[in-house]
Amino acid sequence: MNLNEAKTILLLYRPGTADAEDPQIAEALALAKHEPELARWLADNSACQTALRGKFRQLTAPAGLKEQIISEQAARERVGYWRPRLALVAAVVVMLLGSLAIFSLPRAARDDTLAIYRNQMAGIALRGYSMDLATNDPAQIRTYLAQNHAPADFVLPDALQKAVLTGCAVEGWQTTKVSMICFHTGRPLPPNRTSDLWLFVVDRAALKDAPAALQVAVANRLLTATWTQGDKVYLLGIEGNETEIRQFL
Amino acid sequence: MAEGEFDQLVTCYYEPLYQFAYSLARDEADACDLTQQTFCVWAAKGHQLRDPAKVKTWLFTTLHREFLGIRRKLTRFPQVELEHAEPELPVVSPAAISRSDTQQVLAALAQLDEVYQAPVALFYLQDCSYNEIAEILEVPLGTVKSRLARGIGRLQELLGDKPRRSTVEPSNL
Repeated sequence: MNLNEAKTILLLYRPGTADAEDPQIAEALALAKHEPELARWLADNSACQTALRGKFRQLTAPAGLKEQIISEQAARERVGYWRPRLALVAAVVVMLLGSLAIFSLPRAARDDTLAIYRNQMAGIALRGYSMDLATNDPAQIRTYLAQNHAPADFVLPDALQKAVLTGCAVEGWQTTKVSMICFHTGRPLPPNRTSDLWLFVVDRAALKDAPAALQVAVANRLLTATWTQGDKVYLLGIEGNETEIRQFL
Repeated sequence: MAEGEFDQLVTCYYEPLYQFAYSLARDEADACDLTQQTFCVWAAKGHQLRDPAKVKTWLFTTLHREFLGIRRKLTRFPQVELEHAEPELPVVSPAAISRSDTQQVLAALAQLDEVYQAPVALFYLQDCSYNEIAEILEVPLGTVKSRLARGIGRLQELLGDKPRRSTVEPSNL
């Protein structure tokens, strides 16, 4: 093994791991003990590898991800548990009564914390949604939301009333409907996008830790402001900074 | 699967899986989706795994498959065997790495050919052995080593100051 071959092999060497047990690496490491040039190169490379590992590991998962995974899985399992049993009950009832079927929907998991709600709504805004109604008419939006049994009697902050409405959609949270009202701040938008500011409104009872005061927090790439007013919890999200979101509060 | 067992699994692996997902997708929302989808697949199929020691490998393999599925990559990946590659030795200094922040490192990773990104991410993020990386990515050990050698060399080159000449043309698998 010459020096270049040894360097090529040692390029894959991570100090402090089991890499040294690899026969080729062990041989190259042994060579480095007798070759000062190789030893110097190895010291530099090892420092690089350690520094790079440190940089990669600075990545952290967003707050609430773990809870979201666990709660959504729990909800799926409950649905999976009840669905076949309810079907059997319904079939028996149909056979006995001939004309009556009773359906009972399982209750979704009540992991209804604000952090999970915030992450889920941010995901909807960022990962794409279909606008149920595209309009800049606030009256049409309220009518549509009311017809679909989503919160429609919400109160917009004065500053937000000046933003351009682009439409609305009805989303779900646990077993509750959420009103999603979409706005455009006036900033240039990517192709196929019509909105860059979103307001989610849900009944206060749907969250066990509705915020007592205004909370500003990041969820995914979305900066969010959350507050409670009356019997509603409002969550405003923007792909921007705190100064920008406060312009609409 | 017992509820507590699933929670424990998520607690152990959601962070490293998210890190791997982010290094592949480079988008927080996509990385969250990939991580969550991986655990969904586990909930549905994890009971088929006979060897509990393979859980980590299984999860990372699943995440990687999900990523590839999403990308719907149709072209075949290039491959360079280690024994055929001329040495490409790093010229980057440790100080240059220290000056870079995580986003710069990830941006450099993104500039690598796609075939090098996953092994390099696993190499730095998870301390996976070469055999584990080969299992996760479902490629032969020699291929993993060659991809790591090329990928690490190129990554360090991108983070350093000096341009380097590429000496090896990749072949197709």
